[in-house]
Amino acid sequence: MTEQEAVTETIKAEEPRIGAFICECGVNIGGAVDCQAVADYVATLPNVTTAVVNKYTCSDAGQAEIKNAIKELGLNRVLVASCTPKTHEPIFRACVEEAGLNPYLFEFVNIREHCSWIHMWEKEDATHKAKEMVRMGVARAAKLEPLQSSEVPVTNKALVIGAGVTGMQAALDIGDMGFQVYLVEQGPSIGGKMAQLDKTFPTNDCSICILGPKMVEVARNKNIEIMSYSEVEEVDGYVGNFKVKVKHKPRYLNIDDCSGCGLCTEKCPVEVPYTEFNEGIGTRKAIYVPFPQAVPLRALVDKSVCIDCGACSKACERGAIDMEQQETFSELDVGVIVVAAGYQVYDPEPQHEYGFGLYDNVITTMEFERLINASGPTMGKVVRPSDVQPPKSIGFVQCVGSRDKNSNIYCSSFCCMASLKNAQLIKEKYPDTEVYIMYMDMRTPFRMYEEFYNRARDSGIKFIRGKPAEVTETEDHNIIARVEDTLTGEIVNLELDLLVLSVGAVSTESTEKIRQILKVSRAADGFMMEAHPKLKPVDTTLDGIFIGGMTQGPKDIPYSISQGSACAARATRFLAQGKALTEGITVKVDEDICVSCGMCVPMCPFQALSMEEGKLNIISALCKGCGTCAVACPTGALQQSHFKNDQLLAQVKNVFAYGEV
Amino acid sequence: MSDSIKTSDFDQAFRDEVFEEPGADKIALCFNCTGCSSGCPMTEQESEFNIRKFLRMANLGMKEQLLNSPYIWYCTTCYKCQERCPQGVQNVDALLKIRTIAVENGIMLVPHKKVGQLVVKFGHAVPINDDTKEKRKKLGLDEVPPTVHRFEEGLDEVKKLIKIAGFDEMVAEEEGGK
Repeated sequence: MTEQEAVTETIKAEEPRIGAFICECGVNIGGAVDCQAVADYVATLPNVTTAVVNKYTCSDAGQAEIKNAIKELGLNRVLVASCTPKTHEPIFRACVEEAGLNPYLFEFVNIREHCSWIHMWEKEDATHKAKEMVRMGVARAAKLEPLQSSEVPVTNKALVIGAGVTGMQAALDIGDMGFQVYLVEQGPSIGGKMAQLDKTFPTNDCSICILGPKMVEVARNKNIEIMSYSEVEEVDGYVGNFKVKVKHKPRYLNIDDCSGCGLCTEKCPVEVPYTEFNEGIGTRKAIYVPFPQAVPLRALVDKSVCIDCGACSKACERGAIDMEQQETFSELDVGVIVVAAGYQVYDPEPQHEYGFGLYDNVITTMEFERLINASGPTMGKVVRPSDVQPPKSIGFVQCVGSRDKNSNIYCSSFCCMASLKNAQLIKEKYPDTEVYIMYMDMRTPFRMYEEFYNRARDSGIKFIRGKPAEVTETEDHNIIARVEDTLTGEIVNLELDLLVLSVGAVSTESTEKIRQILKVSRAADGFMMEAHPKLKPVDTTLDGIFIGGMTQGPKDIPYSISQGSACAARATRFLAQGKALTEGITVKVDEDICVSCGMCVPMCPFQALSMEEGKLNIISALCKGCGTCAVACPTGALQQSHFKNDQLLAQVKNVFAYGEV
Repeated sequence: MSDSIKTSDFDQAFRDEVFEEPGADKIALCFNCTGCSSGCPMTEQESEFNIRKFLRMANLGMKEQLLNSPYIWYCTTCYKCQERCPQGVQNVDALLKIRTIAVENGIMLVPHKKVGQLVVKFGHAVPINDDTKEKRKKLGLDEVPPTVHRFEEGLDEVKKLIKIAGFDEMVAEEEGGK
């Protein structure tokens, strides 16, 4: 018998002595449930030593009362009937542990979300239901067994997926704290979407002027290893011990020999009418450097258009070109993972929204950013696509692909400020241009943003409160936007030279792929889901995996950078401690009943189960306690500790009272 | 300018009645994006017709003002607005419900009443005329079609049904007209 088994047997042999603490949660529970009546009833139940009401059980005073009761009354089980385990279970587990009780001898009953909040207007029934819920909890509490979570060593390296501004910030912070970081970026350069922007609100700094130095800083940081043009293929393991397989896509040149001088590009005869960095506008060669400030400043070959003429090889003085290059793979061991895989802008083309894809002079915000950018395809000269002439009137349509049940129901949050910024840039550069912003609600919270909006109004931009429904084109390729200005109640036909669609953000296929590899939850909006919307905004439900920036939902640059830093701080806790606790709730097999059918093995989403020499092998450190395998087991050999059959059945049997409640 | 709107103009029961129509309850979600009104072909013809404004009035419960507006009858039910509403408001269905409530309150435009009276009299909203008779004759058809026009007893039954439904009273023109 192991030490743990001995402890378990001792506890099981003891008569259960349960202390029940009924929380009023101010009026949250107390407003609907008569907590004293619940406590009085619970006190009469078998194995209950004490039942008391607290105003706030989670407060210092409430927790002190629990600890005192454990010591003075010799409690060996504690039940709290209050709110959600999502936020409060760790608090109470820690509380009972401090009083010397195993944290798994704690039972939580949620009489707030599951009772008082949904029965706000049915006080009598709510009280009755609370009694029943607590009775079920008492029955289960009596059967609880102590469990041990084990400590595992943590590999003191981090993986950051995505090298946009969020991922860069996370990598820099982790690196500066003295830990090694692998920064994996699928594109040929770090920098992300921010590198493509012209200016940034609310101060209108040139985007690449503030991002460029940061990119160089990342490259210089001795603790950061940039893996550009690479993708995460596989992730195995658990907090502290992740094994990551990274694919390095071939650039068809040796990255150590290339200096990014551009001689190859000059000689390349293949001109491609598409540029990734300029949102498709303009041309590039088959061998190219992504953009002038790229980090690493290295070329790559677009094999889909290369004609293998060899001109680049001849031009390269360093002999860097290698057309036979194959993709390679790295195996990384890391302790924590930060996901900052980013987003893409909403694409209005498939549905031809507002004539996008039909009319030349309807463009998106990102295309506009490249047009007005000094290093863009027009050297910063804003022209309209149909005749390459400067537009005399420009309209911005807000909420394209946002706040619409036909596309995305959420607000993308940054687009109002982006259009206010772009409209101001037009007014600064070309003061005679007529600029209109068509909006439903102008959303400008946060420091300096409202002031920015004031400045936009002051600069002569015309705001029309309405969203166009009809967009048509005239013979000379002007755009007519038909919109009701709700503030005058009049329908306005705006004739514009250029219409810019203020497109929102959506998750990307590549981000979704990473989500599936990591098994992070997906929110209804398609972005990755945080562990708690308020209290754990960059954590996931998986230990050691953190999400930040647009991966977690639309947000602007300051917010993204904050989340990058937050991810770094949260992740480095594990690295700094050098150890992590694994889940105590794991699956156990009764070898006498197991028939080695192996049905459980493929069920496990965490690869914790395997059949070895006809015997089921469980790696407890990998087990997350999800219980999927236990459900699949046809013989009942697998039992989920803390959710064992006798524990659950005790609860079920007490759904209905045998006596009067 | 007319008097300002008072809270007493807001009739909650009227709002509830409109909201009974499936999808009309989504009016509560309207954020006045103008997707309906901006693209409305009727609004292009007659700017007083504004379905966004009418649904807003319904949302506030402005029963009297809304039901007595002659423009609620201008919608041709092309359903363009309903198709593109970003909040899933069943705009046209809601407006039809508003019209139904108007009729139940005895509010109907004179031309509509006149058409109704034709149904009461002939069993047809568009009764046969000499031109049509001539055309039918040329095509080798009986001058009078095999409908209630030809069958007296059929027309009697239609009239009976109209009476039971109270339709005749509904479309009867009041003294002086309305």
